[in-house]
Parts: sequence; structure tokens; C-alpha cells
Amino acid sequence: MQLELRGITKRFGSFTANDQISLKVEPGQIHSLLGENGAGKSTLMNVLFGLLRPDEGEILIDGVVTPINDSGEAVRRGIGMVHQHFMLVPVFTVAENVVLGFEPKKSFDRIDYRAATEDIRRLSQEFHLEVDPDAVIENLPVGLQQRVEILKALSHDAELLILDEPTAVLTPQEIDALMDIMRSLAAAGKSILFITHKLKEVKAIADVITVIRHGQVVGTAEPSASESELASLMVGRDVQLTVTKSTYDPGDEVLEVRDLVVLDDRGLVAVNGVSFDVRAGEVLALAGVQGNGQTELVEALVGMRPVVSGSITLKGRDITHLSPRDALDAGLGHIPEDRQRDGLVLSMSVADNLVLNTPRRAPFARRGTRNLAAVKENAQRLVREFDIRTTSIEAPASSLSGGNQQKVIVARELSRNIEFLVASQPTRGLDVGSIEYVHRQFIEHRNRGNGSLIVSSELDEVLALGDRIAVMFEGRISGIVDPTTSREDIGLLMAGHTTEVAGV
Amino acid sequence: MSLVSTTPVATTTPIIKSARTRVIAVIMAVIGLFSFVVFGLGSTVRSHAALSFTPLNLVNAPWHLGSLTVATRWTDIVLSLIIVALAAEVFIRQPSRGVMPRFGIAAILFLVTLLFWAARTDGPSQVNSVNVTSILVGCSATVMVLVFGSLSGVMCERAGVVNIAIEGQFIAGAFLGSMIASTTGNFFYAAIAGAVVGGLIGLVLAFFALRYQSDQIIVGIVLVTMLSSLSSYLNLQVFTPFPNFNTGNLASNLAIPILSKIPIIGPVLFNQSAFFYLMIVLVAVVSFALFKTRYGLHVRAVGEHPRAAATVGINVVRVRYINVVLGGAIAGIGGVAFMATQGQFQVGYTSGLGYIALAALIFGRWRPSGAVVASIIFGLTVYLSYELVTYQVPVSLYFLQMIPYLITIGVVAGLIGRVRPPAADGQPYLRD
Ligand SMILES: Nc1ncnc2c1ncn2[C@@H]1O[C@H](COP(=O)(O)OP(=O)(O)OP(=O)(O)O)[C@@H](O)[C@H]1O
Ligand SMILES: [Mg+2]
Repeated sequence: MQLELRGITKRFGSFTANDQISLKVEPGQIHSLLGENGAGKSTLMNVLFGLLRPDEGEILIDGVVTPINDSGEAVRRGIGMVHQHFMLVPVFTVAENVVLGFEPKKSFDRIDYRAATEDIRRLSQEFHLEVDPDAVIENLPVGLQQRVEILKALSHDAELLILDEPTAVLTPQEIDALMDIMRSLAAAGKSILFITHKLKEVKAIADVITVIRHGQVVGTAEPSASESELASLMVGRDVQLTVTKSTYDPGDEVLEVRDLVVLDDRGLVAVNGVSFDVRAGEVLALAGVQGNGQTELVEALVGMRPVVSGSITLKGRDITHLSPRDALDAGLGHIPEDRQRDGLVLSMSVADNLVLNTPRRAPFARRGTRNLAAVKENAQRLVREFDIRTTSIEAPASSLSGGNQQKVIVARELSRNIEFLVASQPTRGLDVGSIEYVHRQFIEHRNRGNGSLIVSSELDEVLALGDRIAVMFEGRISGIVDPTTSREDIGLLMAGHTTEVAGV
Repeated sequence: MSLVSTTPVATTTPIIKSARTRVIAVIMAVIGLFSFVVFGLGSTVRSHAALSFTPLNLVNAPWHLGSLTVATRWTDIVLSLIIVALAAEVFIRQPSRGVMPRFGIAAILFLVTLLFWAARTDGPSQVNSVNVTSILVGCSATVMVLVFGSLSGVMCERAGVVNIAIEGQFIAGAFLGSMIASTTGNFFYAAIAGAVVGGLIGLVLAFFALRYQSDQIIVGIVLVTMLSSLSSYLNLQVFTPFPNFNTGNLASNLAIPILSKIPIIGPVLFNQSAFFYLMIVLVAVVSFALFKTRYGLHVRAVGEHPRAAATVGINVVRVRYINVVLGGAIAGIGGVAFMATQGQFQVGYTSGLGYIALAALIFGRWRPSGAVVASIIFGLTVYLSYELVTYQVPVSLYFLQMIPYLITIGVVAGLIGRVRPPAADGQPYLRD
């Protein structure tokens, strides 16, 4: 299908999220949208999928003006969308999710699951999207869940597929698989609108690149353009894609973890006897495919999850069984994996979120009452220093784009006098500009002589930040190596192979 | 540094089971040991009680089964040991499913040992026999009301709306049902009236919950409070001066030929009022609709992940309205059914059955079949707790009546197996 957007404008109050955006997608084309956090990409896609009404502009499908009023209509017009947060019912099977809303029917309104399953099998084969129709969604890894989303769109005869940051939550292998799927879909004549912040992916797969900044199309680029060209087009200035660190000169041990055992939500052992040290002025990067116990390890460190056995020591003080409040007071800073759930109170203002972990302390509180002047002063200073883009410090955190939400958390944690930083997937979903920024903050924290543990499933990030790299597999540390180790070797460790490290 | 060996790390992840099932196993063991010591060892060797099976109404079940004499001491000891054995099994095996039914069985066995003990020959009670059939017939009325109530809960909560107002729908159904049945002499019209008023209360709940995203529990409680006060007021203003409107008819039983003559279960299952048969049909229909049809898939999607449902074109708000109104109608009919087994309307006589129905819903894991099992367990405990009064049990009636709620607390606290409500249960849905 050929899709054309003409002069789409979408305003939220006085704020213009999309400003006269026009673009064209040809059949069989993979069209990539690049733009900073908050540039308006998701807004545009929501307009196209009927979730938002444009204030101006029109949508043309195969040359015909087609208003799209709700997502049911978008689906009927052949538009499918894989949302950034999956729209799947976790307790349903794959088949139930795929047919939902478009069920093949038998007598008495019964669902014809046999027909549905056959349909899924046929589509799976046609597009190489292997998945068991009877599997329950919540038991599937995210990569497979995403496949289900794609299958769902295809089963509704989608001719144009919108993929909004589909790779943010995937493992490298899953990303490769997705790329193959996208190629075969394009080869079958489907059009794809692909949003990502990872320039490598764009270069690898896009036919056409459109760059959006502040709600406007600022230009198109060829996939052959270099990453730094793309980045500067996106951000409007030169971006340093690699961080420069001062020489590695570690001091004494700051954090010592010994034989830590932690359970996951189901009561299974998630962290299985993990030991490591982090020294002053050092970043220990923790690599590994998601779901190998990193989440539980971090939660245990900051007191969000009980420790079954083992110990955690921070600067000689035992902090194994502290509550989150006490762990924070003991000098830990925490940048959580799920920023919206564990990092922010979305309905509260930016200013309040910036003092979320010290609301009862001077100067933000005096004799049991809040000192709003100090809260405001703090917010104004941090918004300036950390370049948080918000309409006002009183705006709710939910109104910020993902990148700016993350900046709020980074600002809050790093502006406090902390001994040790624990950060989990700190740049997930962030644009290159924000990543550059967050990384620089981490390195400054390190250069001031503090320790950090940075957990990331992004190999680039691990290699860029880590002074040493620990790899986690199935609840254990399968090796600790230095950052000159090859990607292939780290990949092997991530897949569960052990290392014999000379001299250790 | 180099990577040498490439053997994958051993991947055995030991499973540490939750301690919660152990807590419940200990509670069960305490119950079992208590009845072992107090009821078993506490009764003399010679004391016994008679079990009879002949129904009180011989017209439809013209059989006489003899009576069975049970030695109190040995029977109670054996039953107590069964409870202890169940506890031990739960403690050791920690089964992931079926802890709830086991606990329910233990609770019922406990009540049965208590019953035998209360009816023993050398006890304080003058009554030394237990009529099994009439107990089952007697509790079937309570069970039926609980099934109507929990089925209403299934309808609403599967779509993501918590209906705390079931008690209010019972009250309104019973009030209006008595009025219509008294004036028309026809329970069919009474049932229609009950369905309408229950549905309307559901509509009010849905309106506040869906239109204004109010807290569903608060709206529900307000509705119950309001309706129970209103029923007192109307009772005083209408039924007291005009007793003809509240004459206390009971629905007549329809005996199903042949089947009703089966010993013991015949009178319980096949010699019942039309409401009882309607209940059975409703359980089947709701189960089928929820788990086999498109409508049911939409309802469950709306209750689990409304946004996902909306993106495939399902109208979340409409599905919720429909279900809350239908669920309200079912609870309204349940109120009429209750009235039809109890006779004339009295203020406060539903005595919290609507809340027990909610507990049965949770105990039954939001499934119609589970709700039936839970309603039987809870109905039996409720009924037996009343029944035990005639045996002059030295325990207060009020303590016995706490049992269903204690079980419920255990369930809700996750002690007895894991319960997982529909993910969006009670969550307001915001369109944006
Ligand atoms: N419902 C809304 N009300 C008010 N403002 C909104 C709303 N939705 C989005 N915005 C604002 O519109 C802008 C564009 O947001 P959008 O989500 O489209 O960005 P994006 O390009 O997808 O960013 P990201 O890469 O972080 O996903 C942001 O500044 C955001 O704060
Ligand atoms: Mg977005």
C-alpha cells in the first residue's frame, strides 16, 4: 500500500507535537523515522493508527484521502501497529490474542479456534514467524511476544506495519531475527514504518530515512550516511557518540557483594550465589541477556527485594537487609530499570519528583513541613543544569518524553551526595543526544572517585562505560573481563560459557 | 585475560517454595488436632449419634432408609485424622493447585465432627440424630443464593468492574420480589422485577464507575448502605401498614419425575423451586458464554487489558456497561430467590450473604464452576452454623458464622494457593 501523510498537525493545548508533517511510504519500503525523544514520532504514529485525531492535515491511502477515526478503522484499512508497550492480554494464548476483535465464528457465537490456529500456522510459515499458537503470552519472552504482535497485525491483512521502537526491549539475537522478519515482509510488498533510536539498525535496514525535530520534518537522509551525520541531523548539533574517560585508577573497594542469593517473584532462585567487588572510581558494567537475574540483583542491592543469603557491604557497612529508604540514606543512588513504575510518580510534578527520595530532609522539609521554596529552587537549578525539557517545573512527570523523564531521575540521583550508583538499563529508549548526556554524567560521577554498577543488555553501552565487565547468566556471574575483550567472547559468556581468566 | 573453556554453566535452578502454603497447612493441622482432642478424645466411648437419610417430605421421595449409628468417638477421631492427613499432605507436597478445595474439605469435616459431637447421646443436646438429607436440602437454599451472587460477581469482575453492591441487589430484589409475588401470586413476575431492579442498581454503579471513574468499591458500599436504609424505610411505610404486600409466599417446588426419587440427592437437586433450576441453567450459560464465545473473549480481554481490547476495536465501556447490568440482574434475581425460600421480606435478613458471595467468587477464582464449589462450601458452613444452635453447642453462633470470613481472609491473603483477579479488576478505564 502507498501511504501519504499531508501536512499533519497535532496540538496538545498550546504545544504543537506535530507541525505540518508530510511524508510518503511506498509499497515494499522500509521507512525509518528518526528523532529525539519528544520529537513527535509516536504522536504521528498514533494519529495514523486512529488513536489521536489530527488538528490539520490528511492521510492518503493509495492516493485517496482516508480519514481514520479509530483504530478499528485503521485496522480495516490495512494498517497494523506494534506498540511500544505491547497490546497483548498476558493470560490469553497466542491464538486468542491474534484473533481478538476479529474472531472466526461458529454457531452460538462460538470462536472457531481451529480455523484461527490454522490461520496463524499459515501466516507463521509464510513470514517465518514461528510461535506456538497455544502458548500463553505471559510465559513467552518479549521477542516472541513481539512476534505475536506482528502476527496479529498480519492476520488483519495489514499492508502497512508501524513498528514503534520495537527493538528497545529485545536481545541482540531477537533484534537480528526481527530484522530478518522485516526484510521478508518488505519483500512480500508490505510497507513498514520503523521507529528506533539505534542508528546502526536504521543504517542496516531502512530504505528511506525521515528525520523529525521539534515536531517538524527537518529532512531526509540516505542509509549510507554516517552515524554521526544522522545524529547531528536529529539533534541539531554535533553529538559525541563515544564517551571519553579519564584513565582507570581504581581506589579501595566501595561495594562488596558476597554469595548473594535472591528469589524472583515466583519464588525461584534468580540470583544464585553472586560475588563481586566494585572499587572507588570504577564502573562495573553488568552485561547479560535480560532475565538472567540482573533485575533481581539490583532490586536486592537497593533493598527492594529480600536477600535470602549472602551479604552486601557498602564502605564497610553491612547493608544487606536495609529497607529502600535506609539503603538510599546509606549512600546508594538508584536509577531503576522501569522508570515509570519505580523511578517516578507520574502524576506528580517534575519539582516533586526531583526530591522524591529526600522529601523529609533539610532543606526540603523543616520541622515536619515541606519547604516548598527550597523544592522549587532545587527544581529550577536541576532543570537548568541537566537540561530537562519541560514546559514548567510544575508539569506532571507524565507529560515529559521518555528521555526527559530519565533525565529527571538521573538529576535526582546524581545531585545527591551518593557513595555508589546503581543504574539499570539507564538509556533504554533514549535518543543519542540523551544517551550522550547520561553517559557523560555517569563518567563524571566515576571521575569524582565514586563507584558504580551499571546494568545493561546493550553491549555498546557496556563496552563504552565499563572499566570491568561482569557477565551474568542464569543467576550466576559467568565471568568478569576487561573492556578490551572482544564482543564475540562477551557474547559467549552471555550465552552461558565459562571463562578461565588468567591470574584470577 | 582469555576465554578458554566453553562449557555451558550448569543450569540447575533449585526451587524454593513459598512458605505460605505451609502456614495454611499448619492452620489445618491445628484444626484437625483440635477436633481430634476435643471432639474425638473428648467424647466417651459409648456416646453415639444417629444419622438418618429419610427426607422430611416423603411425597416426592417415598423411601425410608434406615438410620446409621455412628460412634462419636471413633468417627470423630477418624475424620480428625483425615484433616491432619490433608494438612500433612499440603505441608509436605505443597501442591501448587487445589490447596483451596483441600482447605474447604477440612473446614467441612471440622463442622461435621462438631455436629456429631454436638449430637452425641451423652451430650447436653436432646437431639441425638442428624438428618443428612434435610441438612443438604436446608443448605441448598443458602448455596443457591450464594451462587446467584457470585455469578453476578463473575459477570462484573471479569469485565473489570468490582460489584460490591451484590448485597444491595439482594435486598432490593427480595423487597420488590416479595411485593410482586404477594400481589400477583406469580414468581415469574417477581423474578422479572428483581432482574430489572438489580440491573438498574448495576447501571448506577456502572455509570459512576465508567462515566466518572469513581472508586468502584466506594460506590458499591454507598449503594448497599443506601439500599438497606431505603428498604427499612419502605418496609415501615409500605409493608407495615399494608401487610398484604408482604404476605410471605414461598416458591413451590417442582419435582422432576423419577430423578427426584433418587435417595439423598434426589430431594436436594431435583425437588427444588424454579429458581434453583434457573441457577443451574445460568451457571452453564455464563460458563459457556465466558469461555467459548466471542462475547466472552471480549469480556475477558476488557477485564485483563482494556487498552489492548480497545486497539482491536472493542468498545470497552460498552462491554463493561452490559456486563455490570447483566450481573446486577442476576444478583437481583438472587434476591428474589432468597425471598422465595425465606418467606416475607424482613429488614436485614440477607445478613451479609452478598459479601459471602464475593468471597465465594474469589475462592472460586473468578470462574462460574469455582464459584459453585465455593458456594457449596460456604453455604454449608453458613447453614451448619445456624443448625448447630439446635444442638446447644457451647460455642457462640457468632463464632461459627465467622468461619466463611476466616476462610476468605486466608484466601485473600494468598495463604491458600494463589488467586489472581482479572488484571484490570476495579481499575477505571480512561480513554484519551
Ligand atoms: N497526551 C499528551 N498530552 C500532552 N502532551 C503530550 C501528549 N502526548 C505526547 N505529548 C508531548 O508531545 C511530544 C511528543 O511526544 P512523542 O511521544 O510523540 O515523542 P516521541 O518522538 O515518540 O519520543 P520518544 O522517542 O521519547 O518516544 C512530547 O513533548 C510529549 O511530552
Ligand atoms: Mg515514542
